[in-house]
Amino acid sequence: MLEQFMMGLGVVMQPSVLVYALAGVVIGQLIGVLPGIGAITAISLLLPITFHLDATSSIILLAGIYYGSQYGGSIASILLNLPGTPSSVVTCLEGYPMAQKGRAGLALFIAAFSSFIGGMIGVALVVAAAIPMASIALRFGAAEYAMLVVLGLIAASLIGTGSQLRSFAMVLVGIALGLVGADTTTGFYRFVGMPELADGISLVSLAMGLFGVSEIIRSVNSEAPRQTKIAVSMRDILPTRAEFKEITGPILRGAGIGSFFGALPGTGAAIASFMAYAVEKRVSRRPGEFGTGHLPGIAAPESSNNAAAQTSFIPTLTLGVPGDAVMALMIGALVLNGVIPGPRLMVDQPTLFWGVIASFFIGNLILLLINIPLIRLWVLLLRIPYRKLYPVIIIMICVGVYSHRTSVVDVVLTLGFGILGYLLKNVRFEPAPILLGFVLGPLFEENFRRAMLLNGGDFTVFATRPISGTLLACTVALLVYSLASGLAARRRARRAATPS
Amino acid sequence: MLKTLFAALPLAMALSLPAAAQSTYPDHTIRIVHGFAAGGNADTVSRIIADALSQDLGQPVVVEARPGAGGTVASGYVAQQEADGYTLQLLVGGHPVAAALYNSLPFDSLEDFTFISTVGQFPFFVGAQHGRFASIQEVIDAARANPRSIRIGHAGVGSTQHLTGELLGLETGVQFLHVPYQGGAAATTALMGGEIDLVIDAGTVILGQADAGVFDALAVTSGARWDDRPDVPTLAETVAPGFDVLSWTGIGAPAGLPDDIAETLNAAVNRALQDEGVRERILALGASPAGSTGEAFRAMVERQIATWTRVIDAAEIERR
Repeated sequence: MLEQFMMGLGVVMQPSVLVYALAGVVIGQLIGVLPGIGAITAISLLLPITFHLDATSSIILLAGIYYGSQYGGSIASILLNLPGTPSSVVTCLEGYPMAQKGRAGLALFIAAFSSFIGGMIGVALVVAAAIPMASIALRFGAAEYAMLVVLGLIAASLIGTGSQLRSFAMVLVGIALGLVGADTTTGFYRFVGMPELADGISLVSLAMGLFGVSEIIRSVNSEAPRQTKIAVSMRDILPTRAEFKEITGPILRGAGIGSFFGALPGTGAAIASFMAYAVEKRVSRRPGEFGTGHLPGIAAPESSNNAAAQTSFIPTLTLGVPGDAVMALMIGALVLNGVIPGPRLMVDQPTLFWGVIASFFIGNLILLLINIPLIRLWVLLLRIPYRKLYPVIIIMICVGVYSHRTSVVDVVLTLGFGILGYLLKNVRFEPAPILLGFVLGPLFEENFRRAMLLNGGDFTVFATRPISGTLLACTVALLVYSLASGLAARRRARRAATPS
Repeated sequence: MLKTLFAALPLAMALSLPAAAQSTYPDHTIRIVHGFAAGGNADTVSRIIADALSQDLGQPVVVEARPGAGGTVASGYVAQQEADGYTLQLLVGGHPVAAALYNSLPFDSLEDFTFISTVGQFPFFVGAQHGRFASIQEVIDAARANPRSIRIGHAGVGSTQHLTGELLGLETGVQFLHVPYQGGAAATTALMGGEIDLVIDAGTVILGQADAGVFDALAVTSGARWDDRPDVPTLAETVAPGFDVLSWTGIGAPAGLPDDIAETLNAAVNRALQDEGVRERILALGASPAGSTGEAFRAMVERQIATWTRVIDAAEIERR
């Protein structure tokens, strides 16, 4: 394994190949920073260029754009509460409060560092365990996906700050929004109204609206100066030894969660980052600090989405089936270069397979090296007065959302979601659970109904299939544990309140 | 010398006038609109053709994705654009399907379009896990013995792949269980995991797996065997006589495109399809490069609208 990896490194270190790895991650970084413009748009624009490249360089370039965008996505999240990609929404939750406290530099460092470690762990898993992970992924059928989503929703019900009931209500709003569009199972149109909505509301426009636009409305409305002090010295950017220690666990857990969801077709970086955040909140001894700029809340999701970005190549490279739209583009680029992706890729095209994987390693290194020095520059961005900054941001959001599927309806919706997010925040409802419901709701419905279709409406399938049954048992255990510990806490509180 | 040159100038200009009038099209950017996700098959074919057309016509040709509602968002948009040759559309096999599937389209799938030329044609392959069935005949026998026991995964309700599966059921008189997935890749993954028994999809999805020994390509949906895979029998020769489904991509424009522009474009597309690089890329996408006249293209769309209307009626798929 290591030998082949070294051979791959040899391929990437050729200057003619290295230049594409570099170009890819730099473009990706930029795409990630720009709100709304996603890796998909960038990759499909660059696809014709790959007609003139060989397969290995093509994939190295396009892959670099994809995982590079995961690095860039966190920057605007932290500085402006503006997620550059849907998978960096969670980074807003802790990153933006940190920036408001004048610690944007540290937040950016933690994001870049966690991204790097998460990405590297993802790469290591691709090198060491691609085949077993792919075969586990194949064992996930409809019943397993349905139960996984239930477990995820229960585990993540604590996401967002404030009361659980409020966040549960927001999850329901998200699920309702996710219902819009053609139903996968029957093709029936639900709440469509206009053809532009036939494929549903776009995740990009929901995320940009609820976070980016609503933040702009709020900031423009507030008279207080946004920034008290801007620290850009290296000492303010680097975490202390204690802080390093605090984020070690979250980074490792995030990488594990991300690697799992990444390898699973149909899920991916966005879900991975939400789950990593939720798990941190569950295991934390100080859950109350989440939402105020808590470091583990940045480290875990950033590590997670980058690990997922790497392991999402596993089904593509080992099985030849793309897990999401970005991977479908990678397959397209391979096919156009006359390489038929499939289980034989690793055997028939070892230089391509290992060259691409080695390029992930090099790409992540380059990303770390360009991100750390850039932090001070990014933080300086905050010195621009907000009244000069926000018109530019609004225009960038509109352009980004429009570029996504060339739809004016999406732009209008984004602005509408901005107003919705603003109003909700005013009555102390958090927008993050809306996105969680929006992503997971339709995934659950589709797989639940497919499981029913395949099994003649027999509910026991969820308990009798081994993986599905295990997930169900975990869900039940988690519910029982939460209820019991909740009751115990209440009893303790009551005992403390009654004088003895 | 200079004097003679100047004297000749008006003459030269006069002589070149008719030629100039003809060659004014195209004098600015042409765009090719399509109705599918960036990076999908339609997007890739659009970009291949755009690349070739811009070299041939000497003007930039850009691709614009307006995805949504099975391509009908883009068709509705293009139908309303000016028929000046600067807005083209990459049409796909889903175009006649949409005509049959949707109750109220804001456009007429035949009358609102000028059909310029097809670009490529491709069949679907019936894939199963390797070794699961010895032949397509065995699949049909099993489905006949136990109705709804054979599960066919497809790329989405109302997709050409789905309707092809329904047509197979109708022509052979057996009942399949049709299982919807979000796209062919998800269905393929499910077939690998053993959640379903068959997938009917394009060669790009099935054949790579067949070569690797993961799937068997049991049959091809085209009327004749596919050049690229002469060993795969047709459905027509095995279980469903007369079965002939070919999907395609082609270039269209809004209705009322002036004849001379339509001819210019038809010639340019057909020239592009002679280019070795273009042919190679279209072949790589599992299609065979195939240009046509506008009339033949239109007649094919008309025929397919009739076929799919019949399938949707018989399979009782709900129109939307």
